[in-house]
Amino acid sequence: MKFLPYVLQHLRRSWIRTASTVAGMALCVFLICVLQTVLAAIESSIAGASPSRLVTRHAVSLTFNMPLAYKARIQAIDGVDRVAISNWFMGVYRDMKDFFPNFAVESEDYFAMYPEIRVPPDQMQAYLQDMQGALIGPDIARKHGFRIGDQFQMESVIPPYRVRGPMTFVVRGIYGAAPGREGSVNMTTMYFHYRYLYETIQGAEGVGDYAGAGTFNLQLRDPDLATAVMRAVDTNFENSDVQTKTETEGAFLSGFISLVGNLAGLLGAVGLAVAFTILLVTANTMSMAVRERRTEIAVLKTLGFSGGRVLALVMIEAAALGVLAGALGVLLAQALVGGLADLPFMGLLLGNFPALRVSPPVAGFTFTVAVVLSLGAGFVPALTAYRGRITEMLRHA
Amino acid sequence: MATVQVENVRKIYTRDTQTIVVLDGISLEVPDGEFVALMGPSGSGKTTLLNLIAGIDRVTSGMIRVGDTTVTGLSDAALAQWRSRHVGFVFQFYNLIPVLTAVENVELPLLLTRLTKRQRRERALTALRIVGLADRAKHYPRQLSGGQEQRVAIARAIVTDPSVLVADEPTGDLDAASAEDILTLLDTLNRDFRKTIVMVTHDPRAAARAHVERHLDKGVLAASVERHVPASRDAHEVPA
Ligand SMILES: Nc1ncnc2c1ncn2[C@@H]1O[C@H](COP(=O)(O)OP(=O)(O)OP(=O)(O)O)[C@@H](O)[C@H]1O
Ligand SMILES: [Mg+2]
Repeated sequence: MKFLPYVLQHLRRSWIRTASTVAGMALCVFLICVLQTVLAAIESSIAGASPSRLVTRHAVSLTFNMPLAYKARIQAIDGVDRVAISNWFMGVYRDMKDFFPNFAVESEDYFAMYPEIRVPPDQMQAYLQDMQGALIGPDIARKHGFRIGDQFQMESVIPPYRVRGPMTFVVRGIYGAAPGREGSVNMTTMYFHYRYLYETIQGAEGVGDYAGAGTFNLQLRDPDLATAVMRAVDTNFENSDVQTKTETEGAFLSGFISLVGNLAGLLGAVGLAVAFTILLVTANTMSMAVRERRTEIAVLKTLGFSGGRVLALVMIEAAALGVLAGALGVLLAQALVGGLADLPFMGLLLGNFPALRVSPPVAGFTFTVAVVLSLGAGFVPALTAYRGRITEMLRHA
Repeated sequence: MATVQVENVRKIYTRDTQTIVVLDGISLEVPDGEFVALMGPSGSGKTTLLNLIAGIDRVTSGMIRVGDTTVTGLSDAALAQWRSRHVGFVFQFYNLIPVLTAVENVELPLLLTRLTKRQRRERALTALRIVGLADRAKHYPRQLSGGQEQRVAIARAIVTDPSVLVADEPTGDLDAASAEDILTLLDTLNRDFRKTIVMVTHDPRAAARAHVERHLDKGVLAASVERHVPASRDAHEVPA
C-alpha cells in the first residue's frame, strides 16, 4: 500500500478538519453502538424468557393491581403448576440516581419458578426465615458495599406503598446465575418478601386495591399448554370487576418495553438517523477535500495516475476516516456503556436487563457500518475525481 | 527516438450553439533532441497544443505521434500509462503537492512503477541533485522559493526519465534571475540529457534560449524561426 502515506499525509495536514470529522463520526458510531447494545440486551432478555412461564396482569395497565383472591382461582386452572405474586415496589435506596429494580415476591414459589437465579442454600434459608430479608444482585452489593447482615432502608415512589414511610431490609443473600444462564439473569435486582409489603401497608388509609397483586407469575406443567392456559385465565375473570391479561413471559417483557415507548423501533429510527449523519459528515468532508484539490488531482492524472487510481485514493481517504471513527466510537462505547445503567432515567429502563456490554458482534457490526458508510460517502467525490478532465480541472483552479 | 509529429490537428470547443476553433489544422514536427519555443498572443492556443502533445487533452481531428506511439489513438487508460513513462510536464505555477516534501513530490510518478521504496527514494534524490536541490529534499513546497519550487517540479518531470519534456510558461511566474536558472536547467536537460523540449513562453528572452521558435496565431502556425544550434552540442552528451 505505497499510496497510503500520501493519503495519510493529507489527513494529517488538514488535521483540524480530520479531527472534527472523525470526532463527529465517532460520536455517531458511539450512539449506534450503544443503541445496538441496548437492543441486544432487550432481545437477549426476551430470548431468556421461559416458554413455560406466563404472566398475568391487570387488563388495563401494569400500574394497577389485582385482587389477591385471584391466586387461588388461577392455581385451580388445569396445567398451572405454581403461581407466585410479584410486585414492582419501585423503592429508592438513598437517591434516585442509585436506582435498581426491586420486587416484592412470594419467595418460595417465585424462586422455585426461576431456577436460573441461584442463591447459596444457607443464605436462602436465612432469607426465608427473616421477614425483612432481602436478596440482592452482586452488582448492587459491589456498588453499595452491601454485605450479608447489612440493614438498609428504601422508600417507594408509589404513594400507597409509602404510607408507612421507608421500609427496613436486611441483606440475607446475594444471588448469582445458574451456569450457562448468565445472559438471562439481571445482576442488579433486589427481591424481598411480598408478605412484608402486604403486612406493612394493609389496612392503611388510601391503600385500597394496592394491597393486591401486581402480577401473577405462572409456571406451566408443559409449555404446549401456554395458549390454552392464557385463554382459560383471562376467560375466568372476564365477568369480574378486574379483568386480566395473560401473556407468555417473553411477550410480557416485550410489553413492558413498549410501556416505555416503542423502544426497539425508536432506537432503530435513531440509529438510522445517526447513520445518515455519518454519511453527511463524511460526504461533506470528502467533497470539500476533492473540490479544493482539483489541481492536485489534475496533476496526479498528468503524471499518469489513471482515473481508477485517483478514485481509489479518494476512497482510501474516506475509508481511513471511517476506520478511525469506527475504532474510536466502538472503544468509547465499550468504555462508557457499562455506566449507562447508572444514569438517572436510563437506570429505570436498563436496570431490568443484565449488565450492558458491547459484544463482539455489535462492535463488528458498528465498525463495519462506519467504514461502509464512509466509503459510500466518499464515492460521489471519488467519482468526480475519476471523471474530471485534466484540462478542465487545471483551468478552474 | 522521440520525434514529436503533429499532423493537421484541429481542436474545436463547442458550447451550446457556439463553436470555437482553437487549433485549425496545425502541423508541426519537433525532431528528437530539439528544444522548441512556442510563442503567440494570449488565447492563440499554445496551452491547448501543448496539452495535446502531452496527451492530457484530446484532438478533435488529426494525429499526434511521439516516438513510435500514436498518442491520438490511445485509450484513456493507455494514455495515462504512456504519460507516466514518456512525458514530463512542467506547469507555470509548479503545482507541487503542498502536503508532500520535495523528495516525496519528486517520488510521486515513481509510485506507478515497480521500483522498491529504496530505489524510488534514490531516483528521486538523483533527480533533485540534477536540479541542484538535494539539500532541500525534506522541505515542503511552502518552505521553498518560486524558482526552487519550479526546479523541484522539473525534477518530478524528469524522474521517470521521459524522452519529452513539455513546459507551459515555466518562467512565467518567476523573477528574472530565477527564470534564468530555470532556462539554464532546461538547456542542460536538453543538451546533456538529450530531452526533447517543447516550451510555451511569452518571454522573448526565454524563447531565445531554444533552438527553434514557432509562433502560433489564431490557431495557425507561422513559419519557423531557426536559431543556430550550438556546435558543441554532441560534445556535451553524457552516456545514458
Ligand atoms: N474548455 C474550453 N472551452 C471553451 N473554450 C476553451 C476551452 N479551453 C480553451 N478554450 C479557448 O481556447 C483558446 C486557446 O486557449 P489556450 O489556453 O490554449 O490559449 P493560450 O495560447 O495558452 O493563452 P495564454 O497565453 O493566455 O495562456 C482560448 O480562446 C480559450 O478561451
Ligand atoms: Mg496558456
